[in-house]
Amino acid sequence: MSEPSAPATTVSAAAPAASGNGHLIEAHDLWRTYAMGAEEIHALRGVSFTIAAGEYLAVMGPSGSGKSTLMNLVGCLDTPTRGTYALRGKVVSQMDDDELAAVRNREIGFVFQTFNLLPRATALHNVELPMVYAGVAKEERLERARRALDMVDLGDRTSHRPNELSGGQRQRVAIARALVMGPAILLADEPTGNLDSATGDEIMRLFGRLHQQGNTIILVTHERDIADHAHRTLFIRDGQIESDTIRNAGG
Amino acid sequence: MPFAEAARIALTSLRANKLRSFLTVLGILIGVSSVIAVVAITEGLDRYIADKVLELGSRSFAVQKMPDIITSREQWMEMMRRRDITMADLEAVRAGCADCAQVGGMHFTGRDVKYGRVTQTSVQVIGITANVQRIGAIRDLTAGRPLVDDDVDRARAVAVVGQDLVDAFFPGGMEPIGKEIRLGTQPVTIVGVAEKKGAVFGNSQDNFMWIPISFFRKLYGTRVSVIIQAEAASMEAFDRAQDEARVIMRARRHLGFAKPDDFSVETGESVMELWQTATRGIYVVTLVVTGISLVVGGVVVMNIMLVSVTERIREIGVRKALGARRRDIVRQFLVESVILSLFGGVLGLLGAALFSWGLAALLGSIMATTFTAPIRLWAVLLAVAVSTLVGLVAGIYPARRAAALDPVVALRSE
Repeated sequence: MSEPSAPATTVSAAAPAASGNGHLIEAHDLWRTYAMGAEEIHALRGVSFTIAAGEYLAVMGPSGSGKSTLMNLVGCLDTPTRGTYALRGKVVSQMDDDELAAVRNREIGFVFQTFNLLPRATALHNVELPMVYAGVAKEERLERARRALDMVDLGDRTSHRPNELSGGQRQRVAIARALVMGPAILLADEPTGNLDSATGDEIMRLFGRLHQQGNTIILVTHERDIADHAHRTLFIRDGQIESDTIRNAGG
Repeated sequence: MPFAEAARIALTSLRANKLRSFLTVLGILIGVSSVIAVVAITEGLDRYIADKVLELGSRSFAVQKMPDIITSREQWMEMMRRRDITMADLEAVRAGCADCAQVGGMHFTGRDVKYGRVTQTSVQVIGITANVQRIGAIRDLTAGRPLVDDDVDRARAVAVVGQDLVDAFFPGGMEPIGKEIRLGTQPVTIVGVAEKKGAVFGNSQDNFMWIPISFFRKLYGTRVSVIIQAEAASMEAFDRAQDEARVIMRARRHLGFAKPDDFSVETGESVMELWQTATRGIYVVTLVVTGISLVVGGVVVMNIMLVSVTERIREIGVRKALGARRRDIVRQFLVESVILSLFGGVLGLLGAALFSWGLAALLGSIMATTFTAPIRLWAVLLAVAVSTLVGLVAGIYPARRAAALDPVVALRSE
């Protein structure tokens, strides 16, 4: 196999925000309203915040608070009913389906509670997948996928299928997949929810390491001790930000 | 998403559901295999007819009063009013057709033939000039001698008989040559035995006897129309020879330019055309049946694709979260649907090969000849094209439904 020519594997170090004030994410007065029959349900009621590149942030809140809705908006899976959301200076809130797909592909690395790996695909192929949709050539895809798996210490498990891997290993495959496109943010939704506490700790240490390498991480959780790994916590209740706490980043 | 990737996904999912995939494509399998098998069988029959029945490719043609094919009573009445073809016509064609290698004449009739107390019924009694034995498909003799010009000149009561007569009259290897059989009350001496040809569509080709044409005319009268049997000198001269014969006949009958022929020039091809008209009817019926089974097959594929989409809503959500656009999802499911249908088409092709091979063997044993039903390249291409089309049509709706899924909803599904 020939040496891949593109040095594009910037798995670490998200690029600094291009917008004028240096914020990676700018959310202004986000509303998300669902129609339930004749009734309107406001899942988010005017949420505004900014996130800088390199932050490690936790979004907390009880179930039904709107934190999942917020995560969907931040992850570009959904668009707000009202308000603006800009990612790397680009206004995402007005984009159509395919533009959103392209943003998710390049800028968002999802880590799910249930891993969401394709069951019939090998670890390597799972990690390859975002690059398939980005149109990366096959050889480069394989090379980058291997490197990403190396980064999460699964370089020797590339040809295993999800059911041949432990929960922690599966989540690390998912993290490799999330990182492989060099996204602006790593968006993790209850990443330790399906893991025992020891494995959960191991995953949180990995997040810590990734943060130190310069990745911006947004953690959605309802567990206080998981949120404590982050340096800033947004607490959501009833569709609004109840508190926004910045702790001194210990490093 | 590149096509190869979509194909890989599709193959993985087909492999994961082997039995379901097979059952899904049964309709397409049956549709494709029935159309190909029927076409192969009819083509085999065509060839059989051409080779065995009409002996096409021979350079022979006939000039006769009645056409080979009469499609209505009115036409038959009209044809019956035509003038008989005479021995003088035969002589004129023989003298004037420069591109003919052989010009002979014949009559035939069906009669009972007796030997001792044994009667063979409905024997085709054919009065011929000696050269007719050398025109068209040549029958070798297994015993004795052929009819010769001298037999014709002297109107000798001699015959070359088919194998059926030998079997009926001389069982157990008795010598037929020199024996006298009776045609009505007239004794006829057997001088030769023609080789066996077997049956075509169940009709024996060996229940006949050749007698000199002059002897035939003595027995059954001279007021019967002669069938002129001619053979062109070469395949290139085939059309020219027919034209020459036609011009001679028209001149003898003083037909003006505007008048149509009042006789028929027949080659094996005219019968072939009738046969093919009949086969076209079979084709149409087959196409309708196949069309129905392909529509049903397509509906089944569509149904299973809808199931497949429903089963994989979560996967679609994941793919969308990772950056799959609508067209990526559409392509994934379309390719899967097409590959599924193609799988049916290929199985159908195998089924057709097996089916026509089996049927050919059966027909061959019934007709006591080798019979082949070839599967042609175009049939393969047709199977591929039709099943691809079915896959596309059946897949488009499920694929669009999959692509239109909201990723948030899809990711939440169990």
